[in-house]
Amino acid sequence: MTSLSLEITIGILKIFSFVVPVLVSVALLVYLERKVLGAVQLRKGPNVVGPFGILQSFADVLKLLTKENLLPSSSNKFLFIFAPMLTLILSLIAWAVIPISSTYVIANINIGILYLFAVSSFGVYGVIIAGWASNSKYPFLGALRSAAQMISYEVSIGFVIITVLICVGSLNLIDIVESQKNMWFAIPLLPMFVVFIISALAETNRLPFDLPEDEATLVAGFFTEYSSISFGLFFLAEYANMILMSSLTVILFLGGWYPPIDIFPLNAIPGIFWFVIKVFLILFVFLWVRATFPRYRYDQLMRLGWKIFLPLTLIWVVITSAFLFYFGLLPN
Amino acid sequence: MFLVGSFFLFAAFLITTCIFVIFSKNPVNSVLFLVLAFLNSTFLFILIGAEFVGIILAIVYIGAVAILFLFVVMMLDIQITTLMYNIKKYVPLALLFAGIILAEIIYLTVFKTSKVNIDTFIRSKNNTEQIGDVLYTKYFIDFQLSGIVLLLAMIGAIVLTHVYRPTIKRQNIDSQNSTTAKDRVKLLKIKPGEGIKDD
Repeated sequence: MTSLSLEITIGILKIFSFVVPVLVSVALLVYLERKVLGAVQLRKGPNVVGPFGILQSFADVLKLLTKENLLPSSSNKFLFIFAPMLTLILSLIAWAVIPISSTYVIANINIGILYLFAVSSFGVYGVIIAGWASNSKYPFLGALRSAAQMISYEVSIGFVIITVLICVGSLNLIDIVESQKNMWFAIPLLPMFVVFIISALAETNRLPFDLPEDEATLVAGFFTEYSSISFGLFFLAEYANMILMSSLTVILFLGGWYPPIDIFPLNAIPGIFWFVIKVFLILFVFLWVRATFPRYRYDQLMRLGWKIFLPLTLIWVVITSAFLFYFGLLPN
Repeated sequence: MFLVGSFFLFAAFLITTCIFVIFSKNPVNSVLFLVLAFLNSTFLFILIGAEFVGIILAIVYIGAVAILFLFVVMMLDIQITTLMYNIKKYVPLALLFAGIILAEIIYLTVFKTSKVNIDTFIRSKNNTEQIGDVLYTKYFIDFQLSGIVLLLAMIGAIVLTHVYRPTIKRQNIDSQNSTTAKDRVKLLKIKPGEGIKDD
């Protein structure tokens, strides 16, 4: 085998080693979500299919696959089918730059964090195209809400990322994690950490900001007209995005693959274990928030994004850079 | 070989999508082709090793500007026939702009070739750091001026669209939170036959 074809084979295997675990963990995350919601509401949750109901989401996927895929006659057929595919592709290509340990990453590029920011900002296209192509009232309103919401919260996410970058001095994700070896950024940048988690909830359209798919007013929001596997793709993408945003939170604020304290029994455990544990904790916060808080009204959502988060993050960027400058801590 | 092939692939895609932007019947399709055109120019930037500029182009134009275009165009009720009827009116203006841009490209490529040895320049630092080095030193004034121009444009847009309408009821969250039961409810002891005195 030539070196080029060997390289391509290894590349493809590496990609599969990311995509398959992500898709399987989506199924387990859906199961976990239903179990957590059940526990919060004093119910059992799924408990019939498989041991403790753990195969419930796989059964649901099989059911979705066997259903008929309906195409509304007045829709724009190509865009209608294209939108869910785009959403899922965008939520998977972001994994190309996520480092799960100091050596294991598909592409270690110089501008990893900007790439992630770009891909997550493209996510809104899937929603807005789906809403428009359906040619129906509720999906359209859902798409408009979603576009405005995701753009608003991207602004504060951008400023949070800038704050972290000022402390690191590099756009490379591995450099970002390695500069947190002694102190996780969640401690000195605690307000930014909180803002980032709340913005991540808004960016992934999760409760309490799930207005694009608000059942009470918009039936099912932008995917009202979708059925069968095309609905399944949206569903998969939403949960894959949740896992992605959790990984991003872990990389930016919770020290990636580093153990909480650098002492013997903890640092002997492989880094990937710590990474997965931290992602799991952030995901649990996502589910916990869903079970606890009521949905925001749309004007409250916009007020929070533009009038509270934007000034707060902007001021914090100035404070952080001033602090680092006057104490000579700026990375070169 | 691979680089040259990718360049021609993305350049061909770029030109094709630009043609579709102009000739699509549906304005929404036009905007989506515009997004594809931006994406292809991002790829071209990355191919020449300017990954920072490329990804910033993607974030700003695809991630924000084109979404707002799409947002507006989706809500317009455009008659496609009138749109195609008017298109000939803009041909001279379009040709003028095309001529100006062509002249700029010729000027830059033929008469103003760079004296710096680009190869050693690129290897020494990654281009994010290179831009950072000159942006706040050599081009400080230009950078600040363009910032002020953008700020003015933003304030102008807000002034144009922000109309004070006294009929709209707005929520004042601070006053709502600072309200106590005493401000809203009053306990009265009413004797039979007297009723409530208005005070």
